[in-house]
Amino acid sequence: MKLELKNIHKSFGDKQVLKGISFSAESGKAFGLLGRNGAGKTTTIRILMDVFGANDGEIFIDGSHIDYTKIKTGYLPEERGLYPKKKIIDQLIYFAELNGMKRQEAVKSIDYWLERLGMAEYRGKRLDTLSKGNQQKIQLVTALAHNPDIVILDEPFSGLDPVNAMILKDVVKEEIANGKIVLFSSHQMNYIEEFCDSIAILNSGKIVLQGDIYKIKHNYVRDKLVVRSEDADAIRNALGSCCVKTDEKELLIRLTSAEEKQKMMKQLTEAYDIDEIKVFEPSLNDIFVEYAKEQY
Amino acid sequence: MKQFGTIFKFELKNYLKNKIFAGVTVFLVAVIAVVMFFPSIMDAINGDEAQSEDGKEIEAVEITGIMLLGTNGVENGEEIRQSFGEAFLEYEVLLSEDDPDVIKEKVTSGEAECAFVLNSPTSYTYYVNNLSMYDMNTEIADELLKTMYGQNAMVNGGMSPEEARDILAVQIEHETESLGKDQMQNFFYTYIMIFALYMVILLYGQMVATNVATEKSSRAMELLITSAKPVSMMFGKVIASCLAGFIQILVVFGSAILFYNLNQSSWEGNMIIASIFDMPPELLVYMLVFFVLGFLIYAFMFGAIGSMASKLEDINTSVMPVTLLFIAGFIVVMMSMSSGDVDSLLMRICSYVPFTSPMAMFTRIAMSTVPLYEVAVSIIILIGTVIAIGVAAAKIYRVGVLLYGTTPKIGSIIKAMRKA
Repeated sequence: MKLELKNIHKSFGDKQVLKGISFSAESGKAFGLLGRNGAGKTTTIRILMDVFGANDGEIFIDGSHIDYTKIKTGYLPEERGLYPKKKIIDQLIYFAELNGMKRQEAVKSIDYWLERLGMAEYRGKRLDTLSKGNQQKIQLVTALAHNPDIVILDEPFSGLDPVNAMILKDVVKEEIANGKIVLFSSHQMNYIEEFCDSIAILNSGKIVLQGDIYKIKHNYVRDKLVVRSEDADAIRNALGSCCVKTDEKELLIRLTSAEEKQKMMKQLTEAYDIDEIKVFEPSLNDIFVEYAKEQY
Repeated sequence: MKQFGTIFKFELKNYLKNKIFAGVTVFLVAVIAVVMFFPSIMDAINGDEAQSEDGKEIEAVEITGIMLLGTNGVENGEEIRQSFGEAFLEYEVLLSEDDPDVIKEKVTSGEAECAFVLNSPTSYTYYVNNLSMYDMNTEIADELLKTMYGQNAMVNGGMSPEEARDILAVQIEHETESLGKDQMQNFFYTYIMIFALYMVILLYGQMVATNVATEKSSRAMELLITSAKPVSMMFGKVIASCLAGFIQILVVFGSAILFYNLNQSSWEGNMIIASIFDMPPELLVYMLVFFVLGFLIYAFMFGAIGSMASKLEDINTSVMPVTLLFIAGFIVVMMSMSSGDVDSLLMRICSYVPFTSPMAMFTRIAMSTVPLYEVAVSIIILIGTVIAIGVAAAKIYRVGVLLYGTTPKIGSIIKAMRKA
């Protein structure tokens, strides 16, 4: 199954929130939707979930317009919250029924998920008697219990301890393996790198970067060198402003072009005592900061 | 539609499971039970002590204090004392020759409860320590002295005392036949029904607003809006609360009618209670119609307001205008009910204005004679407005539930509604 968003525009009043968003995600793969606060992620998710319509643009599933009576979506919102004073099982059934399940199959599925997440003992308890992390696991059940085709997880790992994070990782991997389209939104780049094959970075309502993570990283202009040396200070003095000290013995050297790198490497290894020298490859974090920083 | 059903069931269950809801209902039923069974219980406790042969209670008035009668030189003091003694059964009436100052002193000290000092056969001064709001003594004394004065005059004119007494004691017989409605009879049940309408609409309306705002502030809304259509959410909530309110009224009124029927014999002498339970059944149908329509209008407004609030604390101030509108209508209706003129111009206008018509038109139907076409026009206007407000409220709700932060201005709400 392939989900495609094409040229989505959305304005609230005079404020243009989305200025032509297009991306596609495939089943069996996770897609990372990145962006700073206010970049338009939540609006994109809400349009995708049919909370409100877009002013322009279309959403397709396998080439035809999305039909919400057939395609089910599951959502873990960033702002968590259910009914604090109600019994967990009651509200889980309520949400599963709202998402189109029959009561009996809802109970069966919820019990499976509670068991899977180690929450079965809390079934009949009130939500506000649970810790924050456990409440979050309950919220996860509302996103998964009705067996959705598209799973949207907004900051799923925030507030979870390492053990719970492990459980969630397994669950997410399982969902991906089960052929779901998993949409990920997070500021924790290590998780994005771990799960997502491709990403899109949103900035001020536009997609400023998208594609396969590996390719993005590899295609990144290779015009910087990382140098580790006992003579770091001497090198810096010699090269001047194109050289930045990133650590006690580490330097980042910006070259005028990528072709320069071979020559510079040779020069440096001949002139100084070099422990390590390599072409700089940005982490996803670096890429995110670079693309999300400037407001377009 | 399926979603509406799910939401409706969930919300209704919330009400019925709510401890306060159940508590208030049980409490009201218990109060009604105590009131309705009261005469039967009293009869059982008192046994036949207070029953005379014909089954009527004997009036055994206890003497609670001393009443002084200062004649101040007026003739036939003893005669006046006697008739005072017969009229004021709760007092021991004593004749006093003392000076008015001494009598005053006795009243102040509490030796006597009150005192009448006659200045002439037709004038007196009444002394009492604290004048109660319900003190009717002067009225009784006025009546007594007037009769005695008249009787004396007639006797002096040559009649025998018996003849004079008969003339003065003549009773006029009369009969009233109301060709329309009898306000004496329908006042109480109308009052109770209007009051029930008022309480239920205000209480449940506020509950709807709080309910929506709670979902918003607990962020359950984030998930709800992605799972259900706002229109289903709004209508599910409002109609569930309407039914919950209706069930409560039904239970309370139903148990009142049941308890009354169980104790009917004990209440036969009580005009008020008998008149309440003697209400015409078609009025109950009107009550139902106006309850449902009135409820919906206000609940939709309260729901829309709830959706605009981002904090629970804001609710109380934001619902104020709607609450005041409703209370104003209630006051108009109550005032005209107590004045008896339920067909005044103001009431006529109010019975067509949809925000006041549920109470105003109902009152007019109950206490006066309203042509059927007027009722129909009022109900049609009401239904139209309910639909319009329901649609508008759903639109506001759709926009409102996603808004956080500052409460938007009315202008931006209208703008948002147009867009939605």
